[in-house]
Amino acid sequence: MNAISPTPKRAYDLNFARYVYENIDGGERLRMCMQCGACSGSCPIGQQMDHGPRKLFMMIRAGMKEAVLTSNTIWNCVSCYNCVVRCPRKVPITYILHDLAYLAVQEGYEPAKKADNARFAKAFWWSAAKYGRTDERLVTGIYYFSFGIGEGMKRGMANQKIAMNMIKTKRMHLGMPHAIKAKDELQKILAKATEIQARHGKGA
Amino acid sequence: MTRTLTYYPGCSSQASAVHLDKSLRAIMGPLGVALRDIDDWNCCGASVGHIEGGHLANSALSARNLANAKSAGPEDVVTPCAACYLNTHYVNESIRGSEQLKGELNEALGVVGKSYDGSLHVRHICEMLVTDIGMDAVKAQVKKPLTGLKVAGYVGCQTVRPFANTERANKFDSYDDPTFLDDFTKACGAEALDFKMRTHCCGGSVSVMSPDKGLHLIKELLDEVQKLGADVISTPCPLCQTNVEMYQPEINKRFGTNFNIPVVFYSQLMAVAFGLDPVKDAGLDQNIIKSDKLLSK
Repeated sequence: MNAISPTPKRAYDLNFARYVYENIDGGERLRMCMQCGACSGSCPIGQQMDHGPRKLFMMIRAGMKEAVLTSNTIWNCVSCYNCVVRCPRKVPITYILHDLAYLAVQEGYEPAKKADNARFAKAFWWSAAKYGRTDERLVTGIYYFSFGIGEGMKRGMANQKIAMNMIKTKRMHLGMPHAIKAKDELQKILAKATEIQARHGKGA
Repeated sequence: MTRTLTYYPGCSSQASAVHLDKSLRAIMGPLGVALRDIDDWNCCGASVGHIEGGHLANSALSARNLANAKSAGPEDVVTPCAACYLNTHYVNESIRGSEQLKGELNEALGVVGKSYDGSLHVRHICEMLVTDIGMDAVKAQVKKPLTGLKVAGYVGCQTVRPFANTERANKFDSYDDPTFLDDFTKACGAEALDFKMRTHCCGGSVSVMSPDKGLHLIKELLDEVQKLGADVISTPCPLCQTNVEMYQPEINKRFGTNFNIPVVFYSQLMAVAFGLDPVKDAGLDQNIIKSDKLLSK
């Protein structure tokens, strides 16, 4: 574990909420949440979440850091922004969930190592940072095999027909990954941005 | 008169959505638009980049694209991809609204001697078609109207969310009940069905990584499309097109349905209606589920 945000020492410890208000992108708007539940009611995948965004935000205010950062809510967001456009208090909910997921990864919580979205994000970022482009084939493959060789083979087999269809219609790139010319340049930019994030105490 | 715009194709243009890129480039000539690609463009981070890279590093991806776009000229940046639009537009607006973010991203860009001042305008290519070109100009290019073709217009989420109807999106359409896609369909001479679920989510990348969580969303969409008797679904979004198309056999297996509905891009419809080649220009051979009605036009 690598605590970046303050760990509450007692019930209703407000330090975690303060951290979220001050350090999470859009977090300052969270103060405005009036618990109406438009977000949770608008979520296409809300039924598969431990807690809808409304409840998660109340949990942040109650200082329930560990419950927030281990909930599957932050891993199940489909990024449809339905909650964002409907929120009467203009809380940028999707962005907040994204940044909470990053915090959970940085602090090393177990679900942040195991959640589908966390594994997928890792494979995705690897491709984007290494090649400057997303190689859909490699990202999907690395994601499948992040569950182990056996499970990776199983998932690959289960999706064999889809892969064949994509190859037949020339929509799966075969051969060397597409890459930008200035990979070095991009990596230097990303390294500097990561360094600035760390300077702000947001982890690397 | 030809107008030049800076074009950000996005990673899907080289794989799952090559037929979007191909058909768009084909229709832009007749519409009087020259697309100039951002030099050496990189990935935008899509919906997951922030989770692993962090907010600032993920924003730096868009900042480099914007810096490269700006050094080629002050023209507007257009992109056909929902995620590319969302990220690039968001970072651009954030730079304009926050001196701190602007400073930090320029500190990162500065390492390689680049900079970006926030002066560009980032636009979805559909908004450009509505605002700059207009439906009358689209209709004027139609040589083979798609008469009798029943089209369910599926907009998806991110094309209109969260920026629809804001000043910086040229007051483009609405996030709940957008009409632009049906206007495209009608301009092509086809019939736009009243598809109420036009902005329901397909599950996005969650459907790709965890089909158990997302396939029911696509099934609900397809149920409604089938009820309406659509010949094809039309969409602007690369991931919507792929998800709704490629999972139909799997959905049939899981839910006992019999879906086999072609899912095409609006730009493929336009290419065919403009009398361009259905394969070479519209890329209709690249749809997994073929639309015979369109291919025979």
